[in-house]
Amino acid sequence: MSKPILIVGGGPAGLAAAHSLGSIGRSSILVEKEGELGGAPILSGYAKLVPTGEWAKDAIGGMVKRVVDDSSVRVQTGATVTSFDGEPGNFKVELSNGDKHEVEAAILCSGFTHFDSVNKPEWGFGTFPDVVTTTQVEQMISSGGGVRCPSDKRKPKRVAILLCVGSRDRQIGREWCSKICCTVSSNIAMEIREELPDCHVYIYYMDIRTFGLYETKYYWRSQEEFKVKYIKARIAEVTSDGDKLIVKGEDTLVKRPITIPFDMVVHAVGMDPNVDNPDIAATFGIDLEEHGYVGVANRYGAMGATSRPGVYVAGSATGPETIDDSIAQGHATAMAVLTDLKQPVGETA
Amino acid sequence: MPIHEKSLIRPENLKTHDELILDGVDVSGHWSTFIETRVVSDYNEAIEEEIAALPGGENIHRCWQCGSCTNSCTVNAINPEFNPRYWIYLIRMGMESELLRDKDIIWQCVSCNKCTYACPRDVFPEGVMKATSHWLERKGHTPKSPSMHFDEVFTEQILKTGKIEESRTIRRFFKRTSQGLMQPWMIEMVKRLLKNLPVGMLTRMGIATFVAPRTSNWSGASSAIQEYIDEQHQKQEELLNLSELIDIAQKDAAA
Repeated sequence: MSKPILIVGGGPAGLAAAHSLGSIGRSSILVEKEGELGGAPILSGYAKLVPTGEWAKDAIGGMVKRVVDDSSVRVQTGATVTSFDGEPGNFKVELSNGDKHEVEAAILCSGFTHFDSVNKPEWGFGTFPDVVTTTQVEQMISSGGGVRCPSDKRKPKRVAILLCVGSRDRQIGREWCSKICCTVSSNIAMEIREELPDCHVYIYYMDIRTFGLYETKYYWRSQEEFKVKYIKARIAEVTSDGDKLIVKGEDTLVKRPITIPFDMVVHAVGMDPNVDNPDIAATFGIDLEEHGYVGVANRYGAMGATSRPGVYVAGSATGPETIDDSIAQGHATAMAVLTDLKQPVGETA
Repeated sequence: MPIHEKSLIRPENLKTHDELILDGVDVSGHWSTFIETRVVSDYNEAIEEEIAALPGGENIHRCWQCGSCTNSCTVNAINPEFNPRYWIYLIRMGMESELLRDKDIIWQCVSCNKCTYACPRDVFPEGVMKATSHWLERKGHTPKSPSMHFDEVFTEQILKTGKIEESRTIRRFFKRTSQGLMQPWMIEMVKRLLKNLPVGMLTRMGIATFVAPRTSNWSGASSAIQEYIDEQHQKQEELLNLSELIDIAQKDAAA
């Protein structure tokens, strides 16, 4: 009987990989460091997902249930991998809970870490309670509590969403676009306008990257149907006059400095490499790419190859990624693992 | 820092003091030029809806900033400051202070309607320009434009008689806009007309000067039109939140 496949991380990519392996009868061990499966959409309490509009707890929750109900998947929550040795087809794994396993291959679905906005102190997060992140707004919506100013629970009349917080910012070493924040922000802006029709929502951007088909459903729909306003600007700082938050910067289309009062400021936080990536790289003996994400060794020949044979990667561990694409990568990488195990590289040709 | 690159700063923002002492230090002369604050300090969220409430402005929300209007614009070709796309952007974003900087040129639209045909979204930019200049007038930002005076003279005459008598229209328009009747182009036109001895026309004009031509049984139609106009004005006053401005104006007039 073949040994199981190790999957590290129980988010969209890991759940997809486990399901794919299970569906053809291959066993897997799914190791999740948190106490619960689902990854960022569940653990961070996302509300409605892009682009389906389904609630995260239903959509991703369904994926979790499918995996939990699958007897070929052995789920280990609250555990991490502490050692990993061997060759493709025969690796020995030790977990932080003391368990030892033998596996044929490993798929890293270890995801990302939300950018911590305190690393951008001039934009007021951590200083003013009504400066929040997109993740917090998602939680306000998904909890059913509605969008409220944290300081006094009032309904905001004017909300500013600042894009590229922790993305495309060389000053703080984030030389990447996190891809999804523009679309997520448009989505959140529409949700705010839907819940609070009297609340004006402004999105401050340097470029809008609602890529692919999101252009219609998010960029234009938010403007035409929901009257969300997009201002091309560089924001210098967020301060307060004691009553309102004051957003200062430059409107780069009008070429004028701006000083505008707001009730709530939302940081559209980017996707950092998982903070555990250096440890993961050391444990699994793989290379990280220059930004700190897991390096992908083969872009065209095989799915999810890392620098070490037998260790694969899928989802946002490789860089900013959407939920849909993470799921697709999880499935595809499971397929690639099976293909390689059947025909190890040395035996082909 | 003395300001050397004065050309980069709008003249109205430059403040020069021939003699100025700050905290006991003489900063006259070379140091005496200051730049006025030039910060956009808020958005006027009502402005787009107000302009959309005026005839011609209804479709402003459709604009997607492609710039076809400005590209095709007759006036823009002569004056690059005349930029319909930009004003539509300012209105939609509520940047009132920026819009007001151009208040003295917005009315210069010649209604050639090239933009109307170029616009891929049927925004009707010509209508938006008209609505915007009316908005500026109704809000008291600009005096009535010559074209507004002309429209009024025209409408008043129609309401009264049901007919347009051109010489009366032009005389009233000149009077309303404080222009003399004996303008060089007018004198030249009359001279050339007279060369052909237009006896019939002169006779008709002579009579019309004393007896205005009228449409028969006009009073019913006239009062119906007047009623409609009053109704529209009333509606616009509400939509433009003019009551406050009217109160102020009435108090000023009483004082």
